[in-house]
Amino acid sequence: MKEGKTERKLIIDGKRMDGRGFEELRPLKIEVGVLKRADGSCYLELGDNKVIAAVYGPREMHPRHAQDAKMVVIKCRYNMAPFSVDDRKRPGPDRRSVEISKVSREALDPVIMKEYYPKMAIEVYVEVLQSDAGTRTAGINAASVALADAGIPMTDLVSSIAVGKIDGEVVLDLTGVEDNHGEADMPMAMIARTNTITALQMDGHLTKEEFKRGLKLAMGACHQIYELQRAALIGRYSKSEEREERKRE
Amino acid sequence: MEKDKRFAVPGDFLGTSEEFTQGKGVYIEEGNLYATQIGEISISDKRVINVLPAVETPPIPEEGDVVIGRIEDIRDTVAVVSIACVKGKEKREIAASTQGVIHISNVKKGYVNELQQEFGYLDVIKAKVIDAKALRLSTEERDLGVIKAICMKCKCNLKMKGTALACERCKRVEVRKISEDYGKGVV
Repeated sequence: MKEGKTERKLIIDGKRMDGRGFEELRPLKIEVGVLKRADGSCYLELGDNKVIAAVYGPREMHPRHAQDAKMVVIKCRYNMAPFSVDDRKRPGPDRRSVEISKVSREALDPVIMKEYYPKMAIEVYVEVLQSDAGTRTAGINAASVALADAGIPMTDLVSSIAVGKIDGEVVLDLTGVEDNHGEADMPMAMIARTNTITALQMDGHLTKEEFKRGLKLAMGACHQIYELQRAALIGRYSKSEEREERKRE
Repeated sequence: MEKDKRFAVPGDFLGTSEEFTQGKGVYIEEGNLYATQIGEISISDKRVINVLPAVETPPIPEEGDVVIGRIEDIRDTVAVVSIACVKGKEKREIAASTQGVIHISNVKKGYVNELQQEFGYLDVIKAKVIDAKALRLSTEERDLGVIKAICMKCKCNLKMKGTALACERCKRVEVRKISEDYGKGVV
């Protein structure tokens, strides 16, 4: 986030620059099983964010010394395509993407039933094709759906969203412009059913009250996202079964 | 088994442990049952609740499964096999250890004098799992055994000739525990 304050107004007449209200999500689109060669996959759009998540495994863990005799090891890679941002991003891992990979892995970790596949590794790849703030939350949402699509036993799905502060107001799901010119950005991930927060980060400053309000806002949004993730999975698989039945008839 | 019309995704509440017995694709937390998989909910007559997976699940070789593998090492009494896939789930990697063994007593019905006469190094074999934990395999049945082999001398593919295998290039004849499906390319 850039500290330099600009004169730009982010809120005009109680509406945000893209016409949304303060507590409104960007349109979210989830597609399940988009990659043929991956064991599980998901394509997700959150506003102008476009991410694709692929899951492979459980497969053999390499290097062998990193194996865990009791549980599966989760490997996660968050990667931004060079064309995903306005100025070409230098390809390859950098400080930011290594951090996000770690955070995403730890956000997904609590739901995976790891003791089922000792000495194995589950590989999660999140590729950002187009970015407009909040790619890590989009990535976690997509990865969680892709894991379920891969048939990996999970206790729940993980939903994720960011809240932030622009022009002194706590708002949900920042866009790129709002993130760059706003005062704070706070991405979080949680298990919607149990209200268990699995990841929480903050950049910028929020007072205690703003933090509490933001968290409440984000939790509400996570419930909405969870319903969309659920609907996407059910839509994909209950329909295909119906199709098979029709074929048999 | 009675099929419920309901469809579950991981984390869906299915019922309480007083109502149902935990089956596959189900976990218990604080006396409540939840799904661990995407799938249809099915309840048996004895009130065992299962989630029948609608997606492909990671394959783990179980007793009775037919597996395809390659001979990696031949010792005095055992042949070491690296298992490539489980029959019927060829598309997906095995989510467990892939090193299996065939003991000399499980190779075929008759007496085996030397293991070298039944398997060759790098042979592709089809075998049945007889012990899932230690991954012990058997090739006793007619359709099990070597499905592809190479000549020990010139590494050419061997062709079936009567009950033995012959090399087309160097005319060498080798013997194996051959599967009915040798050289057909069908698993």
